[in-house]
Amino acid sequence: MKTTIRISFAVAAIALGCTTPALAGNSLIAKGQKVAVAKSPLTVTPDHEWNKMGARPGRNSETWTLDGDSLNDVTFYGGIENDRTLFREVSKKTKPLPRFAATMLLTDIPALFENSYSIALDTQLMKIDGVTPTTFLGTKGVHFSYSFSRPDEEVRRKGEASAAIIGGKLFMISFEAPNVYYFDRDIAGYRAIVASATMASVVAAR
Amino acid sequence: MRRPVAAMLAALVGTAVPAFARDVPPSLPPYTTAYQPQGVDERGVWMEADEMERGLRDSKTLIADPKLNGYVRDVVCRTVGASRCGGVRIYVVRDAEFNAFMTPNGTMVVSSGLLLRIRDEAELAAVLGHEFAHFELRHGLNGFRQRRSASDVAAWAGVIAANATTYRTAQTMQSIQVSAIGSMFAFSREQERQADLLSMAYIKASPYDPGCFADIWDRMLNEGDATAHGRRQRSKRYDRASFFATHPTNIERATYLRDLAVDMHKPGEAPREDDAPRYDIAMAAWRAQFLGDQLKLNDFEGTDYLLGELAKTRWTPDLLFARGELYRSRGNPRDLVSAVGFYREAIAQDPTNAEAYRGMGLAQLRSRDPAGGDALKRYLVMRPDAPDGAMLSTLVQ
Repeated sequence: MKTTIRISFAVAAIALGCTTPALAGNSLIAKGQKVAVAKSPLTVTPDHEWNKMGARPGRNSETWTLDGDSLNDVTFYGGIENDRTLFREVSKKTKPLPRFAATMLLTDIPALFENSYSIALDTQLMKIDGVTPTTFLGTKGVHFSYSFSRPDEEVRRKGEASAAIIGGKLFMISFEAPNVYYFDRDIAGYRAIVASATMASVVAAR
Repeated sequence: MRRPVAAMLAALVGTAVPAFARDVPPSLPPYTTAYQPQGVDERGVWMEADEMERGLRDSKTLIADPKLNGYVRDVVCRTVGASRCGGVRIYVVRDAEFNAFMTPNGTMVVSSGLLLRIRDEAELAAVLGHEFAHFELRHGLNGFRQRRSASDVAAWAGVIAANATTYRTAQTMQSIQVSAIGSMFAFSREQERQADLLSMAYIKASPYDPGCFADIWDRMLNEGDATAHGRRQRSKRYDRASFFATHPTNIERATYLRDLAVDMHKPGEAPREDDAPRYDIAMAAWRAQFLGDQLKLNDFEGTDYLLGELAKTRWTPDLLFARGELYRSRGNPRDLVSAVGFYREAIAQDPTNAEAYRGMGLAQLRSRDPAGGDALKRYLVMRPDAPDGAMLSTLVQ
């Protein structure tokens, strides 16, 4: 009986032309090629291959991974507008997220990030570890490192992010991974992405 | 069609508004220490609780400070008496919500959000006594049994309704289903009330004032209103116990608890003014962090109400600083002006408060006030090893 069902599913899949894997929408990012990310003029050139996740954390953002979601994630925020949240809210009613404001100082960005994470993940264990100035996308930016754990698991995660406010919009690239093994192994790939990040000329002209 | 609906409503009203007028707290029942679970149900429930406790013991949310834990234990023991508190394991967890619970095997969990909102020792005693009452009355087990039998009824009624041949049978069966689910939650409401009553009996035998329990629920109602108002939502204050509510509504609770306290004619042995400093001393090392966790909740009006309640008539530097941070994070131009005022008051009371200089500087810079640079410079001198020192230096230039 079971075999029959399996076969009929397989037949149906072939008939519908589904040659892609079940989680359609994920795609491969080739190494060494310029690619525009997060539906925005933010453009990066990775130094090795990445997988782009089909599911986006929010409207103007996208996530890349090497081994799978939450093992090593690079997230691009491509121009969060004034009065918008960093990512999709878990519950607008009971757990609304803080919103980005175009008038924010660069030092307000790590705090916005910290609060958004602690509300969305329901954890008080989210901490900004260090904040330093940086040059990001050719302009004055902020670089910060953070660490967090979700309340229901023992894994400690570490992260890093670089952000800048350009034309009243927030552009940011973040990386996070479990602090055991993955973070140290993959941080260089992330830093290469950040170093290669540029804004396409469309916005520069605006 | 109408009749089952009317019957359902009557059943609902019956469970939602029980007659609470003038309850009397029971006398303290005899207590056996080192109780072991009996029967297959109770052993199962305990096994689950043991498993949860093992996870809790190693959880990173746990606040392991021996002083804080010792203090909370001390209050529990003073409330329920030495023989009762002996077997309880207390875990203080970092959770910004107001919460406390006790599992059937004697694990007591207290959230940091509760410790932040409590005003004095008598209030803490009342809440923890209530949780202990759930434990002593073995509500975890009874709740489990009740839930199971109610779900059985609901499940069987569902099967019959699905196979019903006539429309009328289906209707009747559906209403049985609804009332079985109703009784399952009503049972929880009744448990809450029993626990309230027994906790009043503990308080009666303890050195604490019974009047405070009602005050806590009043403040929770007000804070809930403030949060709802800030989020442009409807107040839930006057809601009747909803069909699925597992607790009596807070207003119902505040009312019957106040009646009980009045009937007991018992002031605390020591006036509550003496409890407050003891409580404040125990929390001193932790309040800044608890306030910081509260600020992260993105609940402007609820937090502003809470800070006002904590301050009562005297705004201490830590509360002024927290209020400055709250207003600065909302960041409207008017909020930034208010924030600067709060930081300034905090500094006036405590000139060594470096963080207040940081907040003031950032609020001023965001309002395009060049004076912000000076405040930040001051902060950097006071905190040469600040984790964001390099970043702030770039703002000063």
